[in-house]
Amino acid sequence: MPPGSRLDLLDPREVAQLGGLEIAAAGVVEGFLAGLHRSPFRGFSVEFTEHRAYQPGDELRYLDWRILARTDRPYVKQFEEETNLRAMILVDVSRSMAWSGAPGRLTKRAYADRLAAALSLLLLRQRDATGLITFDETLRQIIPARVKSGQWHRIVRGLIETPDGQGTAAEEALRQVTARLARRGMVFLISDLLFDRDLALTALRYLRHRGHQVTVLHLMDPAEVELEGPPEVRYQDLESTGSVVVRPRELARTYRETVRREIAAWRSACRRHEIAYHHITTDQPFGVALRRLT
Amino acid sequence: MTFLHPLALLGLAAVGVPALLHLRQRRLPPVLDFPAVRYLADAERRTAKRLRLRHLLLLLLRTLLIAAVVIAAARPQVRGWGRATGHEPTAAVIVLDNSLSSGVLVDGRRVLDGLATAAHAVTARAGSGDRLWLLLADGVVRRGTPAELDAAIDGARPEADHLDLSAAVRRAVAIASGATLPGKEVDVISDGQAKALSGPPVPAGAVRVIALEPKNAGVPNRGVGDLRIVDTRLLVPVVGTPGGKAGTLTVTFRDRVVSRVLAAAGDTLAVALPAAPVGWWSGAVDLEADELRGDDRRLFVQRVHPPARVAVGKDAGPFVAAAIDVLRDAGRIATGNDVTIAAFPAGRFAVVPATGDPASVGAVNRALGLRGGHWRFGLPATPGRLAVRGAVLNGLGGVPVGRRLGLTGGDPAGVLATVNGSPWLVRDGSSLLIGSALDTGWTTLPATPSFVPFIDALVNVLAQGEAPVSDTVGAPAILFRTSGRDTTGALVEGPDPSESDLTPASAAEYARALGAETASASSFGDAVFTGSARGDAGGLLLILALVLAALEWTVAMTTR
Repeated sequence: MPPGSRLDLLDPREVAQLGGLEIAAAGVVEGFLAGLHRSPFRGFSVEFTEHRAYQPGDELRYLDWRILARTDRPYVKQFEEETNLRAMILVDVSRSMAWSGAPGRLTKRAYADRLAAALSLLLLRQRDATGLITFDETLRQIIPARVKSGQWHRIVRGLIETPDGQGTAAEEALRQVTARLARRGMVFLISDLLFDRDLALTALRYLRHRGHQVTVLHLMDPAEVELEGPPEVRYQDLESTGSVVVRPRELARTYRETVRREIAAWRSACRRHEIAYHHITTDQPFGVALRRLT
Repeated sequence: MTFLHPLALLGLAAVGVPALLHLRQRRLPPVLDFPAVRYLADAERRTAKRLRLRHLLLLLLRTLLIAAVVIAAARPQVRGWGRATGHEPTAAVIVLDNSLSSGVLVDGRRVLDGLATAAHAVTARAGSGDRLWLLLADGVVRRGTPAELDAAIDGARPEADHLDLSAAVRRAVAIASGATLPGKEVDVISDGQAKALSGPPVPAGAVRVIALEPKNAGVPNRGVGDLRIVDTRLLVPVVGTPGGKAGTLTVTFRDRVVSRVLAAAGDTLAVALPAAPVGWWSGAVDLEADELRGDDRRLFVQRVHPPARVAVGKDAGPFVAAAIDVLRDAGRIATGNDVTIAAFPAGRFAVVPATGDPASVGAVNRALGLRGGHWRFGLPATPGRLAVRGAVLNGLGGVPVGRRLGLTGGDPAGVLATVNGSPWLVRDGSSLLIGSALDTGWTTLPATPSFVPFIDALVNVLAQGEAPVSDTVGAPAILFRTSGRDTTGALVEGPDPSESDLTPASAAEYARALGAETASASSFGDAVFTGSARGDAGGLLLILALVLAALEWTVAMTTR
């Protein structure tokens, strides 16, 4: 890695080679924040509560110029709701996530773990209560949203200690999530969305109805976007016994159109329910993904 | 279709390769994990119909491509394709009309020479795989190599025979049809004489008949027809192409010119022959020379003999007696004992009708035996109609015979007439045996106009052991038949008079009658073997293969 490079803009594979989840995520966040001129998240309320020391990334409009003039130290104003922002990161750990389309490339799960760690670090640095839920057919790991010190390490450990799961029945897991998220806040869903769209949207819509700000990060491997492979192949589904024999060269165009249509359908449905939707491939730098989320 | 390199067709086994590869790929594809199978299934479902069609199209195109390349490598030779580079093995029968009419001179050149040139054009185009026959006017079918047939063509001379062209072509078609070669052709090379055609149109069937187109203008000609002597007059018909000019006709008898007149086709002249002593005398009729010399001369023979001296027995019956009276009055016979007509054999030569008395049959047979004969009268036999052998008894055929005795025991060579296939009139040494009495109770013969000529023939010809003067087709000549020192008959040869009319058939009539395509003299050589002509289709197949390859590439690239 060239000296002075920003980890958030590097190839995820190179970032992963730097060290474990914590190091990579922290490096990504540092790089990300170095490139920002304002805080990535804003609360809903404008009721002032207290001042706190300025951190890189905070929006300049919240800088208290008077204190700066008097003390020559930067402080920002905090508001009631902002201090109480709760964020819950939902990471899909189903078997389909543990797949990579090319040797050396991060699996979707590995990418999601690093992205979730970076995102949680970003949130916690702003003193936002952040939690983690991993799920496949059911909830696997639940780390309630906290802002206290050591929360990030708990989240990281939770990611590390969650094994790859089985199938994905997201609607059931999401239904369980909604029951657990009593206070409104932000919900980040990182998944390959290989489940029933309508059922999943029902659960997400319910979250939205409960007042949560929901962001869906649709994670795909590049090989899932552009079909390649041997002249003829039997593709075996990771989460079921289903398989299909295809000739990738013949089917590539139609497959690409199918994927685009699926993405468009997700995007359209999310927009309709005021849910933020972003499509990310695992070859994109983490910084790009974070930028979309903030 | 044939192939220059048929072994290359073994490569056709390769046409199954695309299908085998297709099936093999279908059967053993590698298995890979893939998370987004639901997208694949959706895409596959939406494209299944198109892909299936694409696979079938590609399979078809690739199979055709291989087949086209392999067949092109085998160099297919296709009948009637493009510019001919050869022809299929063909059974070709050349009908060369060298009948008398082919000897006519047109523009100073013999017609047969032109016909021979056309025939050589056929042999020159024959290949090693062809089978050739040559049919000439003599009716002999010659099979041989082109060189052998060339020699036969060069050796052909105008015959005196008439060639029934329709019959000859029918025969040629039968020969060609019987061959197992893929091409069958009859090449008719004739002057197109209208009288050479006969009967219904020739059913050519699968055989291609190509005929040299007849020339429209007929050559004027006159010739001497069949001569006939009635009493002492020579009847001379002049035959030939109607409308021709008259020419000088000269009749010579016993080496002396007896008549010289102008005659044209269609005339019939009666020339009185001068009296001649007893014996066989010959003569000739000559016409002024014209373009066809072969029919300008014809010979004739006159038999001059004394009347037979005949005696008639009482049991011969009234009809015989009456006929003898008529013949005697006409000077055809005289009274004497040279020939005796009686139910009981007697005299130097006995004419013995069957007796109506069954009790006398034995005595008659014994008398015949004593005369050295072998034939005997037998039991009554079945009624029927007369069938005769030889020209002497012409006119007796079909006459009913109601009653007769069988004739048995002699040499069948002596049988002159039969009833129901069994002898009725036989010559046996110094006797003539008749199976019926010459009475209307036995046969209606005595009541017919043929009866008096029959009695005349019995006593003047058959009893004398003489054969009549007969005609046959051939170059003008006279052949005398002899028995010991006696002359017993004559054969006069002359050209077939039907050859003298040189009026050609119209092209349409000619083609219809022979079931043929016609070709002019200049194009005849190019027309033969074109029915089985073959062009090399390899080039086209290669172009087709290129087109198929382009199509395959287009389908493969644009539908992926």
